[in-house]
Amino acid sequence: MITLNHYIILGAILFAIGIFGVITRRNAIGILMSLELIFNAVNINMVAFSRFLTPTAAYGELFTIFIITVAAAESVLGLAIILAIYRKRQVLNADEMNLMKW
Amino acid sequence: MDTISSLGLITAVLPILAFIIIIAFTKKDKMASALVSIIAVGISFLLSCFMLSQQIIAPGLHIYNIPWMYIGTVELNMGVMINQLTTIMLFVVTLVSMLVQIYSIGYMHDDEGFSKFFAFLSLFTFSMLGIVISNNLMQIYIFWELVGLSSYLLIGFWYTKPEASDAAKKAFVVNRVGDFGFLIGILILTFRAGTFDFLKVIAYVQSGAIEPGMMTIIALLLFCGAVGKSAQFPLHVWLPDAMEGPTPVSALIHAATMVAAGVFMVARLFAIFSFSPDAMHVIAYIGGFTSIFAASIALVQKDIKRILAFSTLSQLGYMILALGSGGYTAGMFHLTTHAFFKALLFLGAGSVIHAVHTNDIWETGGLHKKMPITSITMLIATLAISGIFPLAGFWSKDEILVTLHDSGNMLLYYTAIITAFMTAFYMFRLYIVTFLGKQGHHSEHAHESPLTMTIPLMILAVFSIFAGLVGIPGQEINISKFIFFAGVAGTEVLNHAETMNMNIAFTSTIVALSGIALAFIIYFFKFIKAESLKKVSGPIYTILENKYYIDEFYMFLIKNIFFVISEAVKWFDRNIVDGAVNGVAFLTRWGGAKLRRTTTGSLQTYALVIFSGMIIVIVAFAIYNPDALKLLGRP
Amino acid sequence: MIELILFYAFAGVTIFSAMLMVLSRNIFHSALFLAVTLLGVAALFAMLGSFFIAGVQVLLYIGAVVVLTIFVINLTKQVIGQDVAQVNEYVLPAILTSVFSACLIILAVMKTDWGTRIAQSVAQSELTDNTALIGRQLLTNFVIPFEIVSVLLLAALIGAIAIVSRDKEVQK
Repeated sequence: MITLNHYIILGAILFAIGIFGVITRRNAIGILMSLELIFNAVNINMVAFSRFLTPTAAYGELFTIFIITVAAAESVLGLAIILAIYRKRQVLNADEMNLMKW
Repeated sequence: MDTISSLGLITAVLPILAFIIIIAFTKKDKMASALVSIIAVGISFLLSCFMLSQQIIAPGLHIYNIPWMYIGTVELNMGVMINQLTTIMLFVVTLVSMLVQIYSIGYMHDDEGFSKFFAFLSLFTFSMLGIVISNNLMQIYIFWELVGLSSYLLIGFWYTKPEASDAAKKAFVVNRVGDFGFLIGILILTFRAGTFDFLKVIAYVQSGAIEPGMMTIIALLLFCGAVGKSAQFPLHVWLPDAMEGPTPVSALIHAATMVAAGVFMVARLFAIFSFSPDAMHVIAYIGGFTSIFAASIALVQKDIKRILAFSTLSQLGYMILALGSGGYTAGMFHLTTHAFFKALLFLGAGSVIHAVHTNDIWETGGLHKKMPITSITMLIATLAISGIFPLAGFWSKDEILVTLHDSGNMLLYYTAIITAFMTAFYMFRLYIVTFLGKQGHHSEHAHESPLTMTIPLMILAVFSIFAGLVGIPGQEINISKFIFFAGVAGTEVLNHAETMNMNIAFTSTIVALSGIALAFIIYFFKFIKAESLKKVSGPIYTILENKYYIDEFYMFLIKNIFFVISEAVKWFDRNIVDGAVNGVAFLTRWGGAKLRRTTTGSLQTYALVIFSGMIIVIVAFAIYNPDALKLLGRP
Repeated sequence: MIELILFYAFAGVTIFSAMLMVLSRNIFHSALFLAVTLLGVAALFAMLGSFFIAGVQVLLYIGAVVVLTIFVINLTKQVIGQDVAQVNEYVLPAILTSVFSACLIILAVMKTDWGTRIAQSVAQSELTDNTALIGRQLLTNFVIPFEIVSVLLLAALIGAIAIVSRDKEVQK
C-alpha cells in the first residue's frame, strides 16, 4: 500500500539532492539543472497532495502545471543570461561570476 | 456655531487671506496690494463694529471650538471666544490697523518693499486678532509668537540698515525671555487643570484646587509674557529700539497690536491673576515702577519717536498698574483711549519725519504754520495723553487714579500722580519744540503730508476727543457697564466708580496743567534756559539720557556671565556631544568595512547561508515547540 | 503489491539518477541524468493517475528544458571541455544542509497525523485519469492565472531574445 508519506519522503530526498547541487555545482548550468530537481520535488508533493487530499478538485495538479510553466520560463531566462555572460567573459563557473561584491 | 462667533472667525481670517493674496498674486502691483490689504482689514473693521453693537445691545458669551488634536486626555482646539472684552479689542485693533494701513499708502509710497510692507501689516493684524479671539491658552500662545514674528519682520523691515536688523533681533530675543516664562506658566496651569480652555482653566483655578504659593508662581510666570510683550521693566529695552522700523509700524505696535497684547492677556486671564493677591501686588508695583521710570527717561530724550516710545512704556505701566490694583475696567479703558491718541501721536510724528527727514526735535521747530493739520491733531493727542478735560485721556486716567486711590495704596497713587505730571511736561516739551518756536534748519522745506496721511490723523483725533465720553461716571451709557469683572470671592476687585471723585479729578488736572505750564516756561518763553537746567541737574541728566544704563548693564551681564556659560556649553557640545555622534559614525564605518568582507559576491555562498539559516530557524522553532513541526493541526 | 514494487523501482531510478546528475564530473552527462530523473518523476505522476501531468512533464521538461540545456552546453563547449573539478569547496556544509533539511521534512511528515483528511484513503484503483477535470478547471476557475502565465511565458521569450541578441548588436 503506497501512502502519501511515501511520495512526500521521496520529494524530500529529491529536494535535498537539489539543494546539494545548487550549493556545490561550480558550473552555472549545473546549478540551473539542480534547481529543476527542486521544482520536481515540489511537483511530486503537489500532485500527491492533490490525489490524496482533494481528488475531486485537482488543485495540486493545476499548480503543478503553473509551476512547470514558470520553471520553463525561468530556465529559458537563466540559460539566456548564462549564455550572455559566457559570450562576454568566457566564464561559466558561478564562483568566477563575482562582480557583485564589495 | 452662531453668527457672532463665525463673524469673529471671519474677522480674524480676512487679514491672513490678504497676506496670502499679496504674497502670491499682487506683489508686483503696489496699489493692488495696498487695496487688498485695506479692504480686508476694512471688512474686518465693519464686522467688528457690528459685533460691538450686538454686544452693546445684548451682551453675551459666544464660543466656538474647532477640534485640532488630542494629546492623551488634553484637548487642543482652535476656537473663537467673543464677549464684551473681545469686541472692544477687535474694534480698536481693526480700526487702528485700518487707519495705519491707509496712512502707509502715503508714508511708504516710494519704498521698494511697498507690497511686502502691506503683507506684513496684514500678518501682524491677523496675529493680533488671533490673540484677541482665542479661547484657549495654547492658541493665545501660538498667536503670541506669531505677533513676535511679525513684529520682528516689521521692525527689521529696512533690514539693510544695521540698526534696524539689530533692533528686530533685540525685540525678538527680549520677547523670547518673557515668552519662556509665559509658556512655562501655561504648561504648569494645563498640567494641573488638564485643559487649555480659558473657561475650564478659570473654573479650575476658582475652585481653589491650586495651593496659594503655586498660584502666585503661575500668575507671575504668565505675567512674564505680558512683561515681554507689553515691555514692562525689566524687559522694556526692546521697545525704544523698535523705533528703527517704519513709523506706521511703530504706531501699530504701540497702539493696537503688540504691546496691547500683554495688557489684553492680563485682562483676559484676570480671573486667574486676581486669585493671587501676591501676584497682583507684584504686577501693580512693576507697572507703577515702569510708568515713572519710563516717564523720567522721556524727559530728556531728543528723538521724537523715542520720546513717544518711552511715553508708551509709561502709559503701559499705567495700565498694568491699574490691572494690578484690581482696576479691570480702568486698565482696559485706558488701553482703548491710549490706542487712539498714541496711534495719532505716532502717525503725526511720522508725518513730521516724512516732511523734515529727521528724528531730532531740536532740528525742527515752527512746523505749525507749515503743517497745520498735523500740528492741530498732534496738539489734540498731546492734550489727551496729558489728561486734560474733556479729552479721552482725562477720563481713563482719572479712572485709574480713582482705582489707585480706592485701593488705598498711596505710594502707587502718588507715583501715578507724579507720572502724570511728567507726562504732561515731556509731551508739551515735544510739541512746543517741534511745532512752535523758532524754525529749525530742517523745517524750511517742510510741507503738509498728502491726504492719505492726514485723513487717518483727523479720524484718530475725533476718537481722541470723544472716546473718553463713554467713561463719564454715572452715565446711562458707560464703559463700566460694558466691561467689568464679576470678581472672585476673597479678592478685592475695584470696579468703576459710580460717581466722580472731584478731588482726584481736580488734582490730576492741576498736576497736568502745571506740567504744561512748566514746559511752556522752559521751552516757549525760555524763562529758564534748558542748557542751564542741564548743568544744574548734572549727573542725573546724563543717567536719564542714557536710560539708566540698563542696556549697558545687560550687555555687561551677557559678556561676563552668559558668554562664560556658553563657552562651557560649547566645549561640552564640541567634545562630548559631537564626540558621541562622531564615535557612533566611526563605529558604523568601521563595522561596515569589516562586514563588507562577508559580501563575497558568490551566489553559492548566499545559497548556503540562506538554506542553513532556514534550517536553524526551523530547528529553533521545533525545540521551542515540537508541535510546530506538524504539517496539520489537530483533526 | 506490484504497485509498491513499481513505486520503489521508479523512486530508486529517480533518486539514483538525480545523485549521479549532481555528482557527475561531465556536465553533458549531468544533463542526460537529469532527463532520466525527470522521466522517473513522470512515471510517478502516472502512478498517481495524473496522466496529463506526466505527459506535460515529458513534453515540457524533457522535450524542451533538457534539450535547451543541452543546446547551451554545446554552445559553451570550450569551457566544458576542460577537465576541472565540478564541485566547489562547500561540499561538506552542503551535505550537512541537505541531509538536515531532508531529515527535518521527513520528521515533520512522520509527526503529522493525516487522520480524517484521508480517512477514506483513496485506493490506487480509484486514481483514475483526471485530465478532463484539469481542463475544465483551467478554463473556468483558473482562467486568470492561466492567462497570466501565458503572458509570463511571452515575457520570458522576449527577455531571452533580448538578453542573448544584444551582444551581437554590440559586436557589429
